[in-house]
Amino acid sequence: MIKVLEINNLTKKFGGLTAVDDLTFHVWENQIYGLIGPNGAGKTTVFNMITAVYAPTSGEIIFNGESLVGKSSYEIARAGITRTFQNIRLFKEMTVYENVHTACHLNTDYNIWDSLIHNKNYKSGEKQIRQEVNELLERMGLYERRDEVAMNLPYGDQRRLEIARAVALRPKLLLLDEPAAGMNPDETNELVKTIRGIREDFNLTVLLIEHHMDLVMNICDQIVVINFGKEIAKGTAQEVQNHPEVIEAYLGKREEELLHVDA
Amino acid sequence: MDQFLQQLINGVSIGSIYALMAVGYSLVYSIMNFSNFAHGGVIMLSAYMGYFAIILLDVSFGVALLLATLGATLIAVLIERIAYSPLRKRKAPTLYFIISAMGMSILLENLVIATIGPQFKTYPIIFAESTIKLGNLSISKMDIFMLIIAAIALAGLVFFLNKTRTGIAVRAATYNARASQLMGVNVGRIVSIVFALGGALAGIAGVFFGIRYTVYAQAGIITNKAFVAAVFGGLGSLPGAIIGSILLGIIETFVAAWRSQLRDLTTFAILIAVLVLKPTGLMGKNTEDKA
Amino acid sequence: MEYYLTVLTLAGINLMVVLGLGLLTGFTGLFSFGHAGFMCIGAYTSAILTVTLKVPFVIALIAAGLVAGAVSLLLGRLTLKLKGDYFLIATLGFGESVRLIFDNIEPLGGARGFSGIAKNSNFVSVWIVCLIGIFFLVRLMNSRYGRNFTAIREEELASSTIGIDVFKTKLLSLFISAIYAGVGGSLYAHYMTFIKPSNFALIKSTEFTIMAIIGGLGSITGSVIGALLLTILPEVLRFIADWRMVIYGAAVVILIIVRPKGIAGGKEFKDFFFVVWIRRLFNKRLAKKDPGNGGKL
Repeated sequence: MIKVLEINNLTKKFGGLTAVDDLTFHVWENQIYGLIGPNGAGKTTVFNMITAVYAPTSGEIIFNGESLVGKSSYEIARAGITRTFQNIRLFKEMTVYENVHTACHLNTDYNIWDSLIHNKNYKSGEKQIRQEVNELLERMGLYERRDEVAMNLPYGDQRRLEIARAVALRPKLLLLDEPAAGMNPDETNELVKTIRGIREDFNLTVLLIEHHMDLVMNICDQIVVINFGKEIAKGTAQEVQNHPEVIEAYLGKREEELLHVDA
Repeated sequence: MDQFLQQLINGVSIGSIYALMAVGYSLVYSIMNFSNFAHGGVIMLSAYMGYFAIILLDVSFGVALLLATLGATLIAVLIERIAYSPLRKRKAPTLYFIISAMGMSILLENLVIATIGPQFKTYPIIFAESTIKLGNLSISKMDIFMLIIAAIALAGLVFFLNKTRTGIAVRAATYNARASQLMGVNVGRIVSIVFALGGALAGIAGVFFGIRYTVYAQAGIITNKAFVAAVFGGLGSLPGAIIGSILLGIIETFVAAWRSQLRDLTTFAILIAVLVLKPTGLMGKNTEDKA
Repeated sequence: MEYYLTVLTLAGINLMVVLGLGLLTGFTGLFSFGHAGFMCIGAYTSAILTVTLKVPFVIALIAAGLVAGAVSLLLGRLTLKLKGDYFLIATLGFGESVRLIFDNIEPLGGARGFSGIAKNSNFVSVWIVCLIGIFFLVRLMNSRYGRNFTAIREEELASSTIGIDVFKTKLLSLFISAIYAGVGGSLYAHYMTFIKPSNFALIKSTEFTIMAIIGGLGSITGSVIGALLLTILPEVLRFIADWRMVIYGAAVVILIIVRPKGIAGGKEFKDFFFVVWIRRLFNKRLAKKDPGNGGKL
């Protein structure tokens, strides 16, 4: 097996606050890897560093043997890492179709003149994207809603659309930031199937942040638990579940957790 | 040397007027995150109010200044109520606020042209003996007076923001509007207070501007200088706005003494240079947005 | 008749600039208060080329666009990475600087202006250029470039995480936008035969922005409606003299509160209900053959 992502001694400081502290973990090809921890533990910050929204204070991020530190977000996306956001960031006023369509642009290469004179390059490029978008929407169960404006979709569909948009780039590594947030148990079960399905279909590796414990335990091959930016446990679902520090972090935080669910 | 000092005093005096404008603009920017282009309209209206108070009501200068300041405060709050608060309530994008502000600014300017007319108005001379001799220096009494009033007004603002409950709530809201709302701060009220403060300072600035130059409907355009000063000092930072304004006033005065036609060009050259070299300005904070 | 043609020609010239501005503001989400500056650069460039260097008008027209575009690349490189209102304020400073620079160039007439430009553009040529401008813009917006602009307007961070080079894409939008403004400036110079820097003051930039907004941001149809309406309306309202600008200002405030998407409401001509009806009427057979073609034409 191949190491897809290596996070080595990653640290991020915001002024005096250390959001991520000397974090190390490795993700192997085709794994579904869980990054969990209480609220404010620094999980999203890790995603933001992988996708170059923030620059790390120190440490390494290595993707397929190549360092990502210093690259821009768009370069990282083109290299094969795409993501979703905790607070969904769709192109709100664009349709479902257009949202995915925009993400497929990298798979075509007609230039600006081609688009002004509508020559063969433009036409075949557009046709190819159109096909890809339709297939993907079909696969994600969004085909029926393709002409609806993204912000009018029900919450669960918005989450799925965001995943579809991320998958449209044909990434090797997909980062999902709380994909089940706000979903009911049925929707969550559906989501588990979807994530497993796209992993098979698109030969993906998945790194996932999640609060729904049953989802994490159910689908993750490996898990790293962090609290206050530091690793407190690493291993399979069983190993992690029985780790005393994990139990403490979660049980000790139970009240706060419950409060955060409403916020 | 005398020449130099003379210009320096002139510059500081102009700079203090800019500061009164820039602080109001900066305050609004820090709480609502948009450039309030209607701020110039308030300044222009205040210049007219001061003028008419003296000419028509025959009141003393002090009373006229007070009336204009109160009027400007009221107008600024009204503008917020009419043009921005409906947008604020439905959480409209920043773009819409700017557009609304532009519309307001056109409305005010042309309302004055349509009702009062496009003629320039000149304030009557207020201090009969208009200069004080200090060695070879002659300083206009009006300049000194403006400087003192501006300093008092700005000191008052700083006191209010740092020492009163309401002022601290305002500062908290400029720091993080959403968090303040969660903590039970009434953001609508804070916004009104911010506009009232900005309006009051704009009121003083408007009267001073009218005295220094003349009163006319397009006078609001002067706030562009205040925007530049606020950016120069660091958008959203009050000390920055004040320091940026004073510096801009001094630079402008010296450039104008050398080549008057290059004065405004210098202002915008400074703006672009600051944006390119240090977009956070002299005192602005460098913040990383949270995604 | 002469009078109506003049008004419509000026509307066309405004439209050219508004089309460009609409691309930048309506489709890419970047505000500019400096488009009168690009127009000014285009106007002077083509005036110098035809008057001093005796270059044919068509070449001067293209050069005007390219020079304005080149300047925009420089401006964009320096300022497009700025966040929030900073870019807007930078364009404001840019527009005013351009005017003040031309004010100070004595060989070009300084503040007194540049006269003796041949009257090379008229109603027909202006509107031909506009139609070409619209045609290219429609095609651009229906390509991946156009969709990338819109994506950035909608959600900048998400755009970069799907591989869009946000900075470069914004720069492209500004570049094309400035070309339109430069061409508009050239048409203006060769229609008025006399230009002076104060023709291109901040208020002019503001007017273009308002045209784009009232017509409807994010819609080419909106730009056309805005430019036509707001060039013609003040002429129609001449009888109320000074009050027309008061109404204008009030209309902007009311519209942004009541109907923020402008008259076109973000839709294009082909999406208006009556056009859709007519199209359906003609396309019934086609629609049966090819169901669900993505709602595209």
